[in-house]
Amino acid sequence: MADVLFETGIAFLALALAGALAHRFGQSVIPAYIVAGVVVGPYVPTEVAGVSLALVTHGEFVTTAAEIGIVLLLFFLGLEFDVSYLLSQGRELALLGSVDFLVNGAVGVALAYAFGLGPLGAVFVVGIVFVSSSAIVTKSLTDAGWLANPESRTILGTLVVEDIIVAVYLAVLAAVVGGGTLAGAATSVAGSFCFLAVLALVAYYGSDHVERVFDVGPDELFVLRVVGVAVAVGALALSVGVSEAVAAFFVGTAFSTTDLVERIEHLVTSLRDVFAAVFFFAIGLDTDLRVVAGVALLVAVAALATTASKLTSGYAGGRLTGLDPRRSARVGIGLLARGEFSLIVATLAAASTVPAIRETVPPFAVGYVLVMSILGTVAIAREGVLTSRLA
Amino acid sequence: MVIHEVDVPGVGKQYEVATSGETRFVVIVHHDGRREIYRREGPDADAEKLFDLDAATAREAASVLQGTDFRPLDLDDVEVPLGDAIMEWVEVPADSPVAGETLAAAGIRAETGATVAAVQRGAETLANPGTDTVLEPGDILVAIGSRAEQKALQSLVATGEGETA
Repeated sequence: MADVLFETGIAFLALALAGALAHRFGQSVIPAYIVAGVVVGPYVPTEVAGVSLALVTHGEFVTTAAEIGIVLLLFFLGLEFDVSYLLSQGRELALLGSVDFLVNGAVGVALAYAFGLGPLGAVFVVGIVFVSSSAIVTKSLTDAGWLANPESRTILGTLVVEDIIVAVYLAVLAAVVGGGTLAGAATSVAGSFCFLAVLALVAYYGSDHVERVFDVGPDELFVLRVVGVAVAVGALALSVGVSEAVAAFFVGTAFSTTDLVERIEHLVTSLRDVFAAVFFFAIGLDTDLRVVAGVALLVAVAALATTASKLTSGYAGGRLTGLDPRRSARVGIGLLARGEFSLIVATLAAASTVPAIRETVPPFAVGYVLVMSILGTVAIAREGVLTSRLA
Repeated sequence: MVIHEVDVPGVGKQYEVATSGETRFVVIVHHDGRREIYRREGPDADAEKLFDLDAATAREAASVLQGTDFRPLDLDDVEVPLGDAIMEWVEVPADSPVAGETLAAAGIRAETGATVAAVQRGAETLANPGTDTVLEPGDILVAIGSRAEQKALQSLVATGEGETA
């Protein structure tokens, strides 16, 4: 018991230190958390000056906490999901989403084939390279003071469509990975969508009841109820082969139209951030830098190609929503960062039955996210240099 | 004044207030209650962040902007400004002898000692009416005076006879 507690303590301290460093240098915490996991995890670096650095193993606690992190990340995505916004901006969002998905998805497919990962590999790579990180982008926009500018509406609108595509994509992917054969996968996808459809309907029509059932006085009882439902529904989904992340997303949407949103944001956000940090840390624990070095070429080519494609799709999206050239360029720059979703896709790839995918895709995703999260944050901070000629 | 409200997905809501001139005052209310205040020099200018307030500070700042007076009110002291005077609402009946007369001609102040602070006429309120204000049937007089003065006023409005206090 003391061992587990000790490892957990080291894990949290490593996260705290990494987070503080990232903050100090104006970087996103996500790459820092991954690096923290790499440093104290079982792979290189394993020692420094004779002192062992293999301090934390990927035990049951880390696995469970990381899983709760994924559930809470997607729960919040659902919580902030606004159907009326979606309906009122439908045409524009559909346009933004299609440009974004087609341009970046095509690059993903090309990358997967160029590096011999085949059709299933392409499905994974598309997911990893296409979705921008809502967490990093929103945080960076706030820090850079862009939120009140017109381009941020296009950027955040694109993120909203990406979130929907991700929800559908993860639901399909989780079912495909679990299904095995093609027929099995088809059944699994169908079953998964039935489950999610029921969940979505319950969430939609149950909102009024949600408000009553969850409106309890003491804060701790409220938090326990919310987290309890999100995790339990996620677990139920997982037990029938449905993505727990997408299930949690729909649980979040059930709360999104109630007056409880502000209270949840106020009380549960820090809990989400702690568990999400463990999720990124767990990714780091599983990362063998030597393996990442083995896919360095793929990471480099992917980083270049998808930076170009995101800048292109963002610029096109900006022009389509009536922004001037400089603001349109900012849309692309704003969307460069990839993060949590790419890593959730990577955890699914790690469970794949196909060896080539299991061994190549997760380290690629980690290397790619490390590069793109830092690149995305720096690009927003240095935007003036990049776009001044367009002004 | 026009205030534009738009959703900022995943963040909260944005309110843009067009002030005089080109400058805009932009407030972003985050889901977690944080408020960011920006200034934009014009419709095409980049926003410049001015303040970052938590929910509680924002509410206090808002009451300052509203001009709300903060001094806590002690209920025992409420009547002091009026001395022993009270405020009453007195309706001018349809058949009132003073209807059609000005405040001066009706002799309200002179005969009763009560002061008419305002006249409510339908949806309209005439604040601080002059002595030449003509009373109409159905008017409600907001009057300040001692209990005796109020009684005299009610009598004057109803019968034309003010019992001077």
